Amino acid sequence: MKRVLVIDDATTVRLYYRQILEAQGFAVEEAGNGYEGLEKALAGQFDLYVVDVNMPKMDGYTLVRTIRQEPAICAGPVIMISTETQPQDANAAYLAGANLYLHKPVRPDTLMLYVRLLTGERGS
Amino acid sequence: MSLVKKNHASSGNADHRHLPRDRAGLLRQLQDASPDIRRWAALDLAAFPDTAEALCARLEQETGLPVREALLTTLIKIGGNAVVKGLMPLLRSEDATLRNEVIEALQQLPEAVSPYMETMLRDPDPDYRIFSINVLANLRHPQAPAWLQAVIERDADINVCASAVDVLAEVGGPETVPVLTGLPGRFDNDPFMQFCVQATIRRIQGHDA
Amino acid sequence: MNPSEPTPAISAEEFRKFRDFFYRKTGIHFEDTKRYFVDKRLIERIQATDSDNFRNYFVMLRFQASGEELQALINLMTVNETYFFREEYQFRCLVNSILPEIAQRKGRDEPIRIWSVPSSSGEEPYSLAIYLLEHWPRVDEYDIELVASDIDTSILEKARQGCYDKRAVSHLPEPLLRKYFSALPNVQYQISDDLRHSVEFTQVNITDLSQMRGYRDFDVVFCRNLLIYFDDTSRRVAAEALFNALRPGGFICLGHSESMSRITPLFKVRKFPEAIVYQKPR
Ligand SMILES: C[S@@+](CC[C@H](N)C(=O)[O-])C[C@H]1O[C@@H](n2cnc3c(N)ncnc32)[C@H](O)[C@@H]1O
Repeated sequence: MKRVLVIDDATTVRLYYRQILEAQGFAVEEAGNGYEGLEKALAGQFDLYVVDVNMPKMDGYTLVRTIRQEPAICAGPVIMISTETQPQDANAAYLAGANLYLHKPVRPDTLMLYVRLLTGERGS
Repeated sequence: MSLVKKNHASSGNADHRHLPRDRAGLLRQLQDASPDIRRWAALDLAAFPDTAEALCARLEQETGLPVREALLTTLIKIGGNAVVKGLMPLLRSEDATLRNEVIEALQQLPEAVSPYMETMLRDPDPDYRIFSINVLANLRHPQAPAWLQAVIERDADINVCASAVDVLAEVGGPETVPVLTGLPGRFDNDPFMQFCVQATIRRIQGHDA
Repeated sequence: MNPSEPTPAISAEEFRKFRDFFYRKTGIHFEDTKRYFVDKRLIERIQATDSDNFRNYFVMLRFQASGEELQALINLMTVNETYFFREEYQFRCLVNSILPEIAQRKGRDEPIRIWSVPSSSGEEPYSLAIYLLEHWPRVDEYDIELVASDIDTSILEKARQGCYDKRAVSHLPEPLLRKYFSALPNVQYQISDDLRHSVEFTQVNITDLSQMRGYRDFDVVFCRNLLIYFDDTSRRVAAEALFNALRPGGFICLGHSESMSRITPLFKVRKFPEAIVYQKPR
């Protein structure tokens, strides 16, 4: 079973992604801020990271930049999902090492489309 | 034996505290080229609450993480109106790290922040409104549920409303449920909003799914 | 509370709501399997505060300006007692991973400094001493300074005396108990004089930056099961003080249920085979 780490400071947002991903056969772990996301990312191998931008203790860009320095442990693709819609926000995400930048809110079918593309998983 | 007893204080490296610790000296050291000197100046300026403005100005330019953390620690210790006024504009910074640090600092200053909350929640910039809700999320303020309810009644931005709904899952009461129920209809029954509202109503009512 | 009233029950959704809040505040996470443990303590506090039901209690907990009730709950939900070899995997991490890394960049004539704060009645620093002597092969090559501090002077006096009851030593392997302790009457065990003389005990308040100034140049700090009891601001101040006390590249070990992720991004996260620890950037 492929494993996804969902990192967002809003509980309902984490639940939302969890429900969508679990319905498609992914195993989901959650972290409530960027620093905690980093701890969990370093502790376990994940096939995908879903990362918010604005979070306490460590923002999403810093998190992605940091895990990209640990390619042996954190090799999985990263989707950043944020409320911010300026072009420079997407640029910052790609510069940090994200594979994809999406705007909130994300529809379930859109999320699953990209998750499958990035993980090579067909899903159920 | 390999374990030796020694006085706890070690002579070790100097901590730059031999430099003058008066107000003027510290303010000067806040601009020093060495991050260590800036950090110690930031920590020691906690003794001079009237330097809030200078500390906020330094925070805006400062790139060293330990120095920024020290500045924020001191600002939180100082607290009060001058600090909040100095920090609020930084919520508009392009720098995500700085914005989020400021949100956390403001959360620690409930009394000084609350008089500004109404205005902050009505800011024309939706991102700024979301940050304001993030500040509110951790405030121990009795007005919080009412402010959030007003947001979900009037705000036209789906992400602003979703942020408010998320906080209401923790602080909302039964009186919020009717407003919540009507919310997805305002946004074309967006599936994300529908999900958040249902999850939040479950939390408020405490019923099991 | 009126004894005729039924005991309040906690629904699964209320449990989850509480769990998320408590986690955000303390970093302590309860699995679903802990439901009974948590519910029981919540009900105890609901009754003790005359709150009638979970909802009223939660509002009080969430908005109380003093944060007193949260303190009371944290005390109920955590283990406040200390004992020898508590969270032993961290000592293993110290000798297998942390010290080898520190030794690599240290000259033979430089001491290795280790600080146990809070030390409570001494179980933790003495465990460190025993663990080093038993399990770190290079222990004789270095001068190792062990400092142990707590805010509570009476508990420090106890630590200096080093007398423990059966419960405190129950996790120690029997041979070590024989080697490093002498049995006293009424099932007490006293730690050997050699060990007592190898640990320096001092009084400190970790949130007092000026008191903490005297503590410098440590290579490793054990700060276990203290920060969970603090509010956000005190945690932040304590983290600054610990940062000051460490050498660049020095390490911090927190308690099992604690994480820097709720406190500060000042430290790097280091993953070793035995544990996650935090490091002051070099
Ligand atoms: C639960 S014990 C932890 C002992 C040991 N580190 C362990 O994990 O088993 C907590 C200790 O923290 C001490 N303490 C509380 N506040 C403190 C403060 N501000 N500074 C230093 N020590 C403090 C108490 O006196 C108590 O001995």
